[in-house]
Amino acid sequence: MSETLLQTDGLTKRFGALTANDEITLGVDRGEIRGLIGPNGSGKTTFFNSLTGFYTPDEGTVTFDGTDITGWESHRIAREGVGRTFQIAAPFGNMTVRQNMLAVQTPKSVDEHERAQEILEFLDIDHIADDDASGMSGGQKKLLGLGRVLMLDPECILLDEPTAGVNPALADRILEHLRELNDRGTTFMIIEHDMDVLKQIVDTVSVLDQGRHIVQGTFEEVSTDDRVREAYLGSADDDEVPV
Amino acid sequence: MVSTELLSQSIINGLLLGGIYVTVGVGFALVFGVLEIIDFAVGEYVMLGAFTGAIVAPMVGGEGLLVVPLAFVAFFLVGVVIQPFIHHVTTGDRPMPLLMGLVFTFGLATFMRGSILTIFGPNTRNVPTNALSGGIEIGGLGTFPEVRVVTAVVGVLSLVAFMYYLYRTTGGTAIRAIAEDRDIARLMGVNINRYQSIAYGVYAGLTATGGVFIGLIYSAGPGMGLQYTAFAFFMIVLAGLGYLPGIIISGIVLGLAQSLTAVYLGGELVFFVLFGMIYVLLLVRPEGLLGKGEVA
Amino acid sequence: MGTENDLTVRDRFQALLGRDDAHLWLFGIGAVVLAVLPFALSTFWTRIALGALMWIGLAQSWNMIGGYAGYLDFGHGAYFGVGAFVTGIVMVELELPFVAGLLIAGVFCAVLAYVVGVPTLRLSGAYFAIATWAFAEAIKELALILEITGGTYGMTFPTGPGTSGIPLVGWPDEMFFYYLMMVLTLGTIALAYFLFEHSEFGFRVKAIRDHEDAAQSLGIDATKIKRRVYVISCVIAALFGGANAYYITFIHPNDVLAPIITDQMIIMALLGGLGTIGGPIIGGVLIFLLNRLSSLFLGNTTIYLPLIGLLIMVTVLFAPSGVIGILRGEVGREDVKQNLRELAEKFDIL
Repeated sequence: MSETLLQTDGLTKRFGALTANDEITLGVDRGEIRGLIGPNGSGKTTFFNSLTGFYTPDEGTVTFDGTDITGWESHRIAREGVGRTFQIAAPFGNMTVRQNMLAVQTPKSVDEHERAQEILEFLDIDHIADDDASGMSGGQKKLLGLGRVLMLDPECILLDEPTAGVNPALADRILEHLRELNDRGTTFMIIEHDMDVLKQIVDTVSVLDQGRHIVQGTFEEVSTDDRVREAYLGSADDDEVPV
Repeated sequence: MVSTELLSQSIINGLLLGGIYVTVGVGFALVFGVLEIIDFAVGEYVMLGAFTGAIVAPMVGGEGLLVVPLAFVAFFLVGVVIQPFIHHVTTGDRPMPLLMGLVFTFGLATFMRGSILTIFGPNTRNVPTNALSGGIEIGGLGTFPEVRVVTAVVGVLSLVAFMYYLYRTTGGTAIRAIAEDRDIARLMGVNINRYQSIAYGVYAGLTATGGVFIGLIYSAGPGMGLQYTAFAFFMIVLAGLGYLPGIIISGIVLGLAQSLTAVYLGGELVFFVLFGMIYVLLLVRPEGLLGKGEVA
Repeated sequence: MGTENDLTVRDRFQALLGRDDAHLWLFGIGAVVLAVLPFALSTFWTRIALGALMWIGLAQSWNMIGGYAGYLDFGHGAYFGVGAFVTGIVMVELELPFVAGLLIAGVFCAVLAYVVGVPTLRLSGAYFAIATWAFAEAIKELALILEITGGTYGMTFPTGPGTSGIPLVGWPDEMFFYYLMMVLTLGTIALAYFLFEHSEFGFRVKAIRDHEDAAQSLGIDATKIKRRVYVISCVIAALFGGANAYYITFIHPNDVLAPIITDQMIIMALLGGLGTIGGPIIGGVLIFLLNRLSSLFLGNTTIYLPLIGLLIMVTVLFAPSGVIGILRGEVGREDVKQNLRELAEKFDIL
């Protein structure tokens, strides 16, 4: 039984003459891991920003778990259960790792300290919990970024390049964590350039090109699709061709 | 009719004033575009220019006009040397670079004002001139002081020269490229340090030149800078931050507003209205009334 | 770090800074020292201490919005002045005692800061800085025009026994004002400590400063939190403004609403160390002494201005994290050299 958790309908975002997201209709099923790919400038991060309230869409709607969240402020969307990370994983400065976790606005009923400890243990960074967060390695920062989102206990997490710039061993660990979270029921949508990473983890892939949602399917289906090849070959980033 | 005459005289006075404000405003707007910094010292360059006029003019036969080219060159050089400092504090991995840049120019302004106050005392001084002591009859509208007319003419001429440099020369193109996108300009091989310094130097020179003329019209005082900082802010807020053509209009609007409120409303309200307008304009239209400024 | 034996002063200081109970001890000892201090000082030095206390509190209040929240309030002094005038108006026009005036000033400025904060805090960066600056200048001009503030004549406060409204206080003297400032300042420091260093609220404030988008995406309502910080910091400035006005008994818009009030708060917080508890304390004492001593020994009150300007520039250039940063070892000799090298590179203009 699949049930749509996050649905956009004709989502459009323009910047002056540029249409960054052009009527994107896309549904993510509860419990799946969805990859979101596309050449540079195809509107992936804009799509995340429109979904999570950082941009107000010009047209179209976003529905999460049956609730219309179009145009909501981003902190409300986060509290509703849609978490996200950013491409650049910068911890909040002058704070320890644990304080970074405690900064997250959790519901009053939650024991934040207990939850922070659990998550830090889960991510294997509890040994540096009370160290200054700015001293962490790049990979640890990515883990902290993920950890902070988990404090919200979100049903759905949008990840913007979760393993970019991380050494392969730690990248594998991050993927392992994502799989485990997925097994526990968390839904993911992941922007990722590394096709090897994507292949290992996603159930389905959506492809954006020039702001439009052109293809959706399994990794194999998408990687052999002519439109996808054309989208990538048509752009300057030849090295990013899937497969 | 007397009142019509007063009105037309006020309008012409306002237009004449606007000419010199524009020269202050364009440089300021350019620096905002290039360095992405609001320079709190802008009014102090006006003050320094006026003081240069008051101090140097007696040495050159009591002719303030002769100080003008000197002021431009001197403050161009001052600006060229100051720019790297501002560039330095707003880049690199220091915390809160924007804050650091603003606070730095704030400190610079305090330093300039305080130094002049300490060295020359609080009194205002005249900037003498013999060449421009008469009046000019303008087509049946009345007689206007020569100094104001010349000031406006010089204002317009320097604006034209400035625009020519910016849009018709290699250096100007480089500066505009930096204002557009510093990183791309760097990739195109533009010497960022050099052209930022030139831009800041031109701005400092223009503003100080404007200061000499403002000193000729009114006088020079160590505390006068604040008012012109406010004027500069008003102009770029009205035009939209970083939007150059809008400055020409907002400079003229400012000159007119100042001349008309002084005549019809009374002096004490002018500043309240001015600061109030800056505040309200920023709240309702941060992108500027006249065009598309960039919103940070 | 080495072994126990070769701990340097800096290491010891860092260790001390890191311990919560040490903070409490430090605060307690400081409070006791301050409480007995006026008995050891002459009236002259009590006045100096009183002024230093006030400026520590004011710098800390600016540090809340500017240092912790990262919003450059260039008009913070407006609340110092409005607090002074509201206290005065309540005492003169309504003939109520000082305590009532101060309370009303606090409430008035809370409302004012809320109303001003809603639209103004939507701006950020340079826009916020200019807007607050213009707001403060407009307030000053308004105070010069209005009749109720005394306009350009200024306002004289009632003095003498009974005007304070505090039981057992006769004629409010230096001692009274010293302890008043002490209570306000210690209160401000304690509030800043618990609010910004010891609560989730403070973590959220810093999160907004460092990465507002990321903070929002973690469920943090940045608008609301910024507004709270703004209101709290403005009310504190207003309380100091009211207390100071009653102390100096005569206020004028060109004094209590002067831009130099804001300048001083900023440079004190900056010199000491932005976004820290200790910063405004260190910066407040240093700058206030510089101010007093420069007029005392140089016999010249204006030389303080270029000095403070120079100090701002040097601090921004070489020690952006302030004295606290130097003590923490963030600004060593190597950093200064590196800084100079990078600066020299920017002089490559030919």
